[in-house]
Amino acid sequence: MQKEAAIREPLILGHKSYHDVTEDVCRPIEDKAPRMWYILFGIALIIALYGIGCIVYLLGTGIGVWGLNKTIGWAWDITNFVWWVGIGHAGTLISAVLLLFRQKWRMAINRSAEAMTIFAVFMAGLFPLIHMGRLWVGYWVLPLPNQFGSLWVNFNSPLLWDVFAISTYLSVSLVFWYIGLIPDFATIRDRAKKPVSKKMYSILSFGWSGRAKNWNRFETVSLVLAGLATPLVFSVHSIVSFDFATSIVPGWHTTIFPPYFVAGAVFSGFAMVQTLLLVMRKAMGLEAYIHTKHVEYMNIVIMVTGSIVGTAYITELFISWYSGVEYEAYAFLNRATGPYWWAYWSMMTCNVISPQLMWIRKLRRSLLFTFFISIVVNIGMWFERYVIIVTSIHRDYLPSAWSMHYPSHIDIGVYIGTIGIFFVFFLLFARYFPVLALNEIKTILKGSGQSYKEAPDYHKHH
Amino acid sequence: MDGSALNAIINNLGHSQKNMGMARKYWKGLEELKETPEFIKHKENEFPTQQTVEAFLSNDKLDETSTGRRDFLKFLGFSVAAATLAACEAPVTKAVPYVVKPENVTPGVATWYASTYYDGSSYASILVKTREGRPIFIKGNRDFGFTKGAVNPQIIASILGLYDSARLTGPTVNGQQSSWVEIDKQISASLKSAKTVTLLSNTVISPTIQNQIKEMTEAMTAKGQSFSHIQYDAISYSAIRKANEENFGAAIIPSYDFSKAQTIISIGADFLGTWLLSSLYSQQYGLTRIPDSKKMSKHFQFESLMSLSGSNADYRGMIKPSEQAAVLSYLIKGLGGNCAVSSTLNTPIKSIADQALKSLKSSKQSSLVVCGSNNVSLQLLTNQLNQLAGAYGTTIDLNNYVNLYMSEDAKVIKLASDVIAGKGPDVLMFLGVNPVYSLPNGEAFGKALKKIKSTVSFAGFADETASLCSYVCPDHHALESWLDYRPTNNHYAIAQPTIRPIHNTASVIETFSVWSGKPRLGKDSSVAYDLVRSRYELLFPLGDFDYSTHNSCETLIGDLKNLTPFKNGVLGKMPSAGALEVVLYQKSAIGNGQHASNPWLQEMPDPITKATWDNYITMNPVEMTKQGFVTTYDQENGLNLATVSVNGNKVTLPVFPLPGQALNTVGIALGYGRGANGEAIGKAAFQTKEYGGYDLDDKGGLKPIGANVYRFVSTENGNLQFDTTGSLAKAEGVYAIASTQIHHTVMARHSIVRETTLPIFTSKGKEAYNPAHTLQKLNKEGHHEEVPNSEFDLWDAHPVEKIGHRWGMTVDLSSCIGCGSCLIACQSENNVPVVGKDEVRRGREMHWLRIDRYFASDEEATIGQRKDKETFSYDKAEIAAENPKVIHMPMMCHHCNHAPCETVCPVAATTHSNEGLNQMTYNRCIGTRYCANNCPYKVRRFNWFNYPSYKKFTEINPAQDDLGRMVLNPDVTVRTRGVMEKCSFCVQRIQATKLVAKTESRMINDGEFATACSDACPTSAIIVGDWNDIKSAVYSSSKNDRSYQALEEIGVKPNVWYKMKVRNEENDLLASLQVEKPVAHHEEEKGHH
Repeated sequence: MQKEAAIREPLILGHKSYHDVTEDVCRPIEDKAPRMWYILFGIALIIALYGIGCIVYLLGTGIGVWGLNKTIGWAWDITNFVWWVGIGHAGTLISAVLLLFRQKWRMAINRSAEAMTIFAVFMAGLFPLIHMGRLWVGYWVLPLPNQFGSLWVNFNSPLLWDVFAISTYLSVSLVFWYIGLIPDFATIRDRAKKPVSKKMYSILSFGWSGRAKNWNRFETVSLVLAGLATPLVFSVHSIVSFDFATSIVPGWHTTIFPPYFVAGAVFSGFAMVQTLLLVMRKAMGLEAYIHTKHVEYMNIVIMVTGSIVGTAYITELFISWYSGVEYEAYAFLNRATGPYWWAYWSMMTCNVISPQLMWIRKLRRSLLFTFFISIVVNIGMWFERYVIIVTSIHRDYLPSAWSMHYPSHIDIGVYIGTIGIFFVFFLLFARYFPVLALNEIKTILKGSGQSYKEAPDYHKHH
Repeated sequence: MDGSALNAIINNLGHSQKNMGMARKYWKGLEELKETPEFIKHKENEFPTQQTVEAFLSNDKLDETSTGRRDFLKFLGFSVAAATLAACEAPVTKAVPYVVKPENVTPGVATWYASTYYDGSSYASILVKTREGRPIFIKGNRDFGFTKGAVNPQIIASILGLYDSARLTGPTVNGQQSSWVEIDKQISASLKSAKTVTLLSNTVISPTIQNQIKEMTEAMTAKGQSFSHIQYDAISYSAIRKANEENFGAAIIPSYDFSKAQTIISIGADFLGTWLLSSLYSQQYGLTRIPDSKKMSKHFQFESLMSLSGSNADYRGMIKPSEQAAVLSYLIKGLGGNCAVSSTLNTPIKSIADQALKSLKSSKQSSLVVCGSNNVSLQLLTNQLNQLAGAYGTTIDLNNYVNLYMSEDAKVIKLASDVIAGKGPDVLMFLGVNPVYSLPNGEAFGKALKKIKSTVSFAGFADETASLCSYVCPDHHALESWLDYRPTNNHYAIAQPTIRPIHNTASVIETFSVWSGKPRLGKDSSVAYDLVRSRYELLFPLGDFDYSTHNSCETLIGDLKNLTPFKNGVLGKMPSAGALEVVLYQKSAIGNGQHASNPWLQEMPDPITKATWDNYITMNPVEMTKQGFVTTYDQENGLNLATVSVNGNKVTLPVFPLPGQALNTVGIALGYGRGANGEAIGKAAFQTKEYGGYDLDDKGGLKPIGANVYRFVSTENGNLQFDTTGSLAKAEGVYAIASTQIHHTVMARHSIVRETTLPIFTSKGKEAYNPAHTLQKLNKEGHHEEVPNSEFDLWDAHPVEKIGHRWGMTVDLSSCIGCGSCLIACQSENNVPVVGKDEVRRGREMHWLRIDRYFASDEEATIGQRKDKETFSYDKAEIAAENPKVIHMPMMCHHCNHAPCETVCPVAATTHSNEGLNQMTYNRCIGTRYCANNCPYKVRRFNWFNYPSYKKFTEINPAQDDLGRMVLNPDVTVRTRGVMEKCSFCVQRIQATKLVAKTESRMINDGEFATACSDACPTSAIIVGDWNDIKSAVYSSSKNDRSYQALEEIGVKPNVWYKMKVRNEENDLLASLQVEKPVAHHEEEKGHH
């Protein structure tokens, strides 16, 4: 049993029993979906289909349907890729790093955050694929034995490292998420009345019996996976940042990128978790499990990582001047005062100023404000990638090649489309999967539940 | 050396024997003397060049092999499996081998023909490369002809015109397809019955055609008919002839020799771009722009519009056309001459004119003054100045006069007004001219053509004039027919066909001969050959026609005109001043408009504005800002439209910011607005829409590109005038401009372009004007020490150094004039796709080689050098100066030995060869574009679409029709969608050269191999070769004091060196900045040699 200081806010509000927890989590799965779900799903599906249409057009016609040009070889494609990968960071951080640090509050959010991670990584992985000129030979990035002679991949290329990093991250996250789901699937299986869903959940739960041996193995595997996943949290975005850091483009070629990208990723990932959970807790009646305290904890993470990001921005700016490298200095001057100044200052406002507001307790405990800031942060983080990618290459070494990037409607369509696809996945998850780790929550019900903390004998016990 | 040179030597051996035989014949045996058929047959095999396919297949051993039944089944099984596997890949287009192999055609081996190019304005001795019987590439002939290999973009691109799908495929009568029999019958009848016949042609320099015209005139006159021949050039130089007639008694255009000139003064003449024989002049000019000899010509340009010549000038003054006389007068008076013209100049012009005077005085006898105006009085002043400067007899040769540009403007103007008044001849023939398009009153002239009984055109296209003619007798394309030329008094040249006529066209020579009563012999007729040959034999009684054809030309001592000593002419009216003076000029690519349907030329960025596919009004940005026009443009932001009115004619075009344009003047290019009534002049001649297809006007007609400003041409004293006055009014609307460069200054980046002046270059050390980039390093004593960049390296040296070949290139920015010949040659050689205006606007042009053009800003002492480091402002550095200095910098793949593109490719599609080449393996490329992002020179080009098939490019890409596809070089892959491409240093040529050397068991000689760009360069600014060969030209060039590598400090170790530009000017500010550092410097870079 978890021992916790009495003055700590309870993590589960209301007078919940173990059964209440099961009921609360299983209700959305077992009941008919509310009308709102169908409306949201419909909207998401339409956007997703539009996005898929744009992708099909892109693949059928050529990369020229995007707004890229001879100078700007990457713009929205890689911006979106990095943005989604960043979002995909929170889940594993919450489930793995917080698990290792025994942060019990993670239990309310880890399931959704991990789901979000996986779907975000799906979306992220889509972009490097469709940004290729010839997707149909994209498998050449894999070091497969082949009969082309001595052809092999280029292990010097950060894009290749990306392939490994993203695929490893995705598979580990997926396994971690799934392992966590097994006992919960078993609960649903046990409660299911309809034969089809019973069969489905019984397949999904891998014959979980809830014996001590099961739990023992579950705990061990979780810990092992957490150990495996933790370095990945740092490696994935470090490697993504190598795409830029190892290049020679002024504004990309920066050693500060790996830590700054990881911090930025956690920053944006937590913001996305906030956006999703603040809606979900309301829609699914989970206010007792995900409440102000959880939001506050997450806001603190946002504040800390946001400050790291802000420091990095200013360091970068200082070093560009201090280095005395003409091209480097100009790249940053151009970011702040050139044609894309609005993108730079949007980024600065959203990512540097807005998280600092979280120092104010009242604001960081305000759900409405948090929701607003979470959106702002995600906009800011999109701009961060856009600023890094586009404003660096649009004016690099030779002024004769300087150019501007104007997105085409296909650029926009594909981006919006991935948001649609993401929500299709997420809504399906919310409908058919236990959105809280219900069996894990139960482990803290006694230690951190409100009813236990308020119980007359609580203080006596501890 | 290429195949052509080799063939040339072999053929020479054969011919020289014959040539000697002119006087006395030597023979080795009776067979040779008698030239028996057996002997001729064996003679051809005397020097077998390579083993042919038949020879290989006829190998006796082939019959000896026996294939058993089991082996057969094995082979069958393997073949089926292999075929099945092969079928999994992209579809294979089968090549059908020759059943009967034509003579002299070996699949895979190019045949080169020497020929001559003349289109009415450009002239050059050329070599035509043919593959499998089709011409695919044109380059200048460096061995023969007075043009010495100099070509211009139009000449190189003309190859594409041969395969234009809009060419007429046969004769037409009233627009309907007809037959030669029918058309000959009808025209002969109308010629017989006609009282007056007029032939309106461009300048005819063919002795054969001249003779035919003479015979026709005589024959008709004998029959009491009147036959007149009027020569008319759309761009007229008649004033030069008239001025010379007044001054020397002969209406000639002399030969100018820029290579002998120490002081060159040009008053509005773009002699490097479009003026007279500009390709030849650029070659001569290039010879005077090599500062290594510590001597350079000093070039002064006074002009209204920033021309190619002005951009290369050492001193450039912005004057209005009406101020040309004052400049000439000032210089005449300064040299002690006298003329009754005001010589008041404003201060900046006066100071340049004073410099010019100083230079004229110091380089007496070797000065040259040229004037671009077609005003006789200005040409008289120019002649007077040349006379005072002692140019006649040194830089100007009156005896070897030029036969080009014989335009008789007054006669043409009269003919046009007669025709419009209904008093035209009975038969009017058009040869090589398009007056409906190019006459100031062309529209009225065109409408009046139907009043003439018979109108005959020889045009290859149903162009503006031909489409209104009752008969069109299409002439062969120049590459399909025999022709002779007499471009200058002392030069005779032959053009030989390089392909059997593609369509049912006929040489004008044959058509003329048919109309004088000879029979028509059809497609393979030898009439043109026979007549050209017989004319040759008359001119060279002792000549060998085959030998001359092989060389394409002969020297001929022509008649000398009866020149009188210089006599001052009587000055008449000068260009008048106006509130707005309008300069009508030609662009290097489009010229007078006859190549308007050539997509290569349309897409060639203008050397100065870098705009493609368009026509515009050029105006100084300073003035534009005052008048409220926007001065910046990019993909989404267009330029404001304005209407220019001249004599009641109006055109509405976008106003383009062109620094260096004289205030209160505008420039508009001629040659646009072709096909305004939808004439079939070529599919690429019209505006296209964003997603393909033509952009149609309200009536559903095709929209021409730009507007026709020949309507603005006025006449003065019977000469067509291209400087005029008018007014400008802002018009509604914004117009998108497709420019390949939207940023115009180099932002004072010293490691990109480097420049100095001749006085600094000759008096100071390399450290002053071309310092190597250094970094600080701790030495053994623990002190900081400045050491060259090359000492810092993350990587091991690439193994190409010192071993085998290492291909390198040097580009001399001093002699590069920015003409764009290299760009078109590269496009032609490497099958570079045309992408059209919309894609260029989006920054997606595909040129493997581009020419960066940088204007100086007010923040720079010279381009790339900050004036004052303390007050330097990036914002101000973005803005070009009002009359800026200009630099042209050819930019192509640098084949870096530490190539940043190579390390980032995930699939190793771009790799380094062991000869120092950065190779692109299209098959392996998956199209991540990472390499392009990481290329510091931004020379990589991505295939955004499938250019050879996507509908957007149907109208503009020649590779999208069966005929146009024939221009493709079979040695170079046509790239598919989604792959990256870039300059390969013409690797196909390197390989071919290596192969020849290998079969001959020898090393490659220096100069044996040249890239297309280096081959095409009229000023020899580009040198390529093996850098590991320390005796090679490229090696010594790279070790020149002026050599530097662009962006040296980023350490990519390119195989391209630039030689810094040296301007022959006084620049005190620069002299104070370019000084040797006081601290002692590291010894010469510890290179690899």
